[in-house]
Amino acid sequence: MKMVVRNVYLSDGMLVTKSRYGSHYGEKVFDGFREWIPWRSKLAAMILKGYTIDFRGEEIILYLGAASGTTLSHLADIIDEGFIYAVEYSAKPFEKLLELARERTNIIPLLFDASKPWKYSGIVEKVDFIYQDIAQKNQVDILERNTEFFLKEGGEILIMVKARSIDSTAEPEEVFDNVLKRIESRFEILKHGNLEPYHKDHLFVHAKLF
Amino acid sequence: MRYNLWFGVYEDGKVEKSSNLEESFLNAENEEPAPFNISEVGVKIFGGRVEYYTSLRKVALAVAERLVEQELKREDRYVVALVKALEEVEEAINMLKEKVEDIRTVKDSEIVADFEDKIEELKNLKKKIEREIEEIMTKIAPNLTEIAGAKITAKLLERAGSMERLVKLPASKIQVIGAEKSLYKAFARMKKGKKAKIPKHGIIFLHPFIRTLPKSKRGKMARFLAAKIAIAAKIDYFRGEIDESLYESLRKRYEELRRK
Ligand SMILES: C[S@@+](CC[C@H](N)C(=O)[O-])C[C@H]1O[C@@H](n2cnc3c(N)ncnc32)[C@H](O)[C@@H]1O
Repeated sequence: MKMVVRNVYLSDGMLVTKSRYGSHYGEKVFDGFREWIPWRSKLAAMILKGYTIDFRGEEIILYLGAASGTTLSHLADIIDEGFIYAVEYSAKPFEKLLELARERTNIIPLLFDASKPWKYSGIVEKVDFIYQDIAQKNQVDILERNTEFFLKEGGEILIMVKARSIDSTAEPEEVFDNVLKRIESRFEILKHGNLEPYHKDHLFVHAKLF
Repeated sequence: MRYNLWFGVYEDGKVEKSSNLEESFLNAENEEPAPFNISEVGVKIFGGRVEYYTSLRKVALAVAERLVEQELKREDRYVVALVKALEEVEEAINMLKEKVEDIRTVKDSEIVADFEDKIEELKNLKKKIEREIEEIMTKIAPNLTEIAGAKITAKLLERAGSMERLVKLPASKIQVIGAEKSLYKAFARMKKGKKAKIPKHGIIFLHPFIRTLPKSKRGKMARFLAAKIAIAAKIDYFRGEIDESLYESLRKRYEELRRK
């Protein structure tokens, strides 16, 4: 087994995270590891494609669009000495996220609208990292607003962009170019790429605040 | 400057601790980012890092549990009410337009301008309601909205009455929601032994994947779309997570029918 990111291993082509916990979304669990399914998680797809992120495990992370906690559960395995503020505004998937948050002591669940960061500005502290996966037309605006409120100087972001959510008629390449340009104006882009074949017409961008 | 923090109010470097943490948690709103780090202030107040995060998690969980329950009950009813209101507003606009025309043909007076202002206002209201519907639909029914759009989805929801009831409808029923009138007419004709056409689609006919197909293919597409809508409704209601494959299969079926 090869370690690719803190607490993340590759075992015969399968991505797993080291975990003391049980299955959260139907993934396999064996001797202290949980399978991380790239079709279900964009972060897993990204790592499996060879793009890694140097997590130290003690970061404070703001996660926008945590849904039912699929990716969040693995991120919580990685950030085992830090904390994750998990924002999601839809009550249905959030129910499932709450199950996760009850057993994981490093998750702080927040049922809020990520486009209104001022509403949780007295709860979330300054963070080292913002992870955003919200598939919204104005997702770059939302990222910027949250950056202003919460991201530390030199902090990093990882954003997952779905072309069709931003503009359903334009070519994905065109949408991605625009997104990259906007991010470039405030961040230094570290890496970006697509998530084929796991997620169609998606772009990830990993960047660092100037 | 005063800052509302989840554990109290911060002013001039001092914190007045809240006596009701759940309440202050929900009022922790500030126009501007705080110029200090909340957790650093909090760790001092709570007497340690472990204590701080333990309390924060406890309060966050308690608040979240309460909100989830409230939200789940209300959002779909709200859309139902909005869709009904939207139809009324649209009718009012049309009615006013007719009346103002009647007046204008006789005399173009100041009253005509007043009418036009009112119409403009109502049009703005209409847009606002539409935006609100769209926002809530993407939230409470992301899969339905993705495959059928907010407008169609909201209308289906309104006819069904609630998400709970929409989920129970079979695809065959979803296919003809909104076409009930012509359906009953057809049945009535058949009863009398006459020939009648059974409508193949109701509200879902508004979908571009149906409208843009030649007439002979629309029935097939409507059946397929209705089946996918029935599946999407269940995923939205029970899990609330997006399933990308739904839209893909719909698009494929559409391309197939278009080429044939
Ligand atoms: C693609 S899903 C996220 C999947 C999740 N990150 C994972 O990998 O497990 C997008 C989520 O963003 C949420 N979302 C969209 N707009 C939002 C907003 N303004 N505030 C909070 N959540 C939002 C949606 O409700 C949905 O659950």
